[in-house]
Amino acid sequence: MSKRVAVNILSVATIAAPIKIEDLDEKRIVPKMMIRRRLTRNTKIMLYLADKCGFNGTKIVYGSAYGELQATAGITDAILNGTQISPTLFQNSVYNSAPSYYSLLNDDKDEILTISSGKDTSKTALQTAALQALLSGEKVLCVVTECLNIANIEEINSCTNFLESGCAVVLEIANDETDAVEIALKPHEGIVESLWDIMSLIDNYEKGRVKNFITL
Amino acid sequence: MKAYINSYELDSCVGNSKSLMRAIYNQESGITIDTSYMQGTPVGLGVMHYSDFFETLNSVVNEVLLHSNLDNFHDTLLLVGSSVGGMQESERHYFQDKNYKNIESSRHTISVIADSLVEEFHFSSSRSFSTACTSSANALLVAKRLIEVGAYKNIVVVGADALCYTTVCGFHALSVLSSKVCTPFNEDREGMNVAEAIAVLLLQDEKFEHSIELAGVGASSDAYHMTNPDPTADGAVSSMYSALKDAGVDAKDVDYVNAHGTGTVANDTVEALGIERLFDGVAVSSTKAITGHTLGASAGIEAIVSCEVIKQGLIPAQANLVEAQNKNIYIPKENIKRDVVYVLSNSFAFGGNNTSLLFKGAE
Repeated sequence: MSKRVAVNILSVATIAAPIKIEDLDEKRIVPKMMIRRRLTRNTKIMLYLADKCGFNGTKIVYGSAYGELQATAGITDAILNGTQISPTLFQNSVYNSAPSYYSLLNDDKDEILTISSGKDTSKTALQTAALQALLSGEKVLCVVTECLNIANIEEINSCTNFLESGCAVVLEIANDETDAVEIALKPHEGIVESLWDIMSLIDNYEKGRVKNFITL
Repeated sequence: MKAYINSYELDSCVGNSKSLMRAIYNQESGITIDTSYMQGTPVGLGVMHYSDFFETLNSVVNEVLLHSNLDNFHDTLLLVGSSVGGMQESERHYFQDKNYKNIESSRHTISVIADSLVEEFHFSSSRSFSTACTSSANALLVAKRLIEVGAYKNIVVVGADALCYTTVCGFHALSVLSSKVCTPFNEDREGMNVAEAIAVLLLQDEKFEHSIELAGVGASSDAYHMTNPDPTADGAVSSMYSALKDAGVDAKDVDYVNAHGTGTVANDTVEALGIERLFDGVAVSSTKAITGHTLGASAGIEAIVSCEVIKQGLIPAQANLVEAQNKNIYIPKENIKRDVVYVLSNSFAFGGNNTSLLFKGAE
């Protein structure tokens, strides 16, 4: 038993860099320096992608397989070294930091869901976004980011050549299934696997296939 | 299509569901005072007894399967809510080796819980949610909606979080830990108790004699602060109201609110205000005085408590309550025997993430 829905992809955005994404247009997107300084890298990438997508709705499904590694690594280092943990670091360590900052900055009081399903993160984020769109009748931002650029990451990283990456789509339920296509999962060399499903959907979009099936 | 909770089990610092309900009704807390996590500083923690967290997880899931109408979970979707995933194991390696070399990245992530359960029980597929302390609440919210739209017949929801230094020391950094057993809603409360737990619930589109319906779900964002709740309680009211609206139920029909009630000054003040704004005299208590705050597992644990309260027709008193801070809500000091049809359970998290769940028994 599974249910399939057709969604229209309204806008898309992607970004990636081997070490650090240099231009996230932070000063324009978050003019207040004191707030900007507190944001995690995942947050800055998510804000950039939402802005690129021209998202003006309220429902968000965010995903990240590895979450806030910089904050987590900072906390474990502090514990190991017997130094004080920064409260900001701890509040920034939760997986839903990025969309929560988005909600703060945009006064978005709607539902926000955060997915972390390993390599299937963008697949399950899309499934959840389609469900939210189906039930609400609204546009939903589905965004996945990964920030792995912590000190000594080479000790553990075997999955990506891009330590910072993200991709996003804004979708809504299509009125009918005419011309809707399946999303053929395509490997995206060097990119963290948790982004592949959305990247494959973006491939469809860029080929003009804006209506896609998603199995809930 | 309606979503029914047909089988459940848990493990916590006071044991399984039967032991937990006994402890709740007898006001016997499972919290112990620990000095090892904070190097001599006493903190109240809810510690489970296991040699391997994942073996315990398997055995709780197996209990749910044994008490269900299913032979296996091969045609069942798995939804997991967790705030730390494999952090306990990652910390062990990192503190011992002082490097990341022996940490397996797939065992660090939130999805390690789902991955291990899929391997053991062959679920058809899985998804993991991580919204801090609302993680399993949001897994239940999505489960209800997936059944409602007819996408799945059987969904297992797991809420699971193991104790780790990151959360204990992190909450200490926020100055919200209690050095003794927490006292939710009390005037002079000190803070919360971090705890660990596993909660497993089977939701189906089929109703049986002892089914409890997950009748309504609601969620909202405060858009106020990363760790402090909106003092107006607008976010809390919005999630509770949305859950009632989803079920088509009036606030006056709710028999009991199982509060998020962490015991922190900020949470309990705002949650009490939210309940005061929405309800008129409903019985409210927090069972975290018994279980501690089990973070991503807490909504799953409290969903099971809510089901048991309905089945037993016994509303639990607020353990450790001496003098309530908010005198405008009804926080019972004794258990109340009465028919219980609707129970609302709240979960609030970092980032101002609020989720409320409404459970319904037989009318």
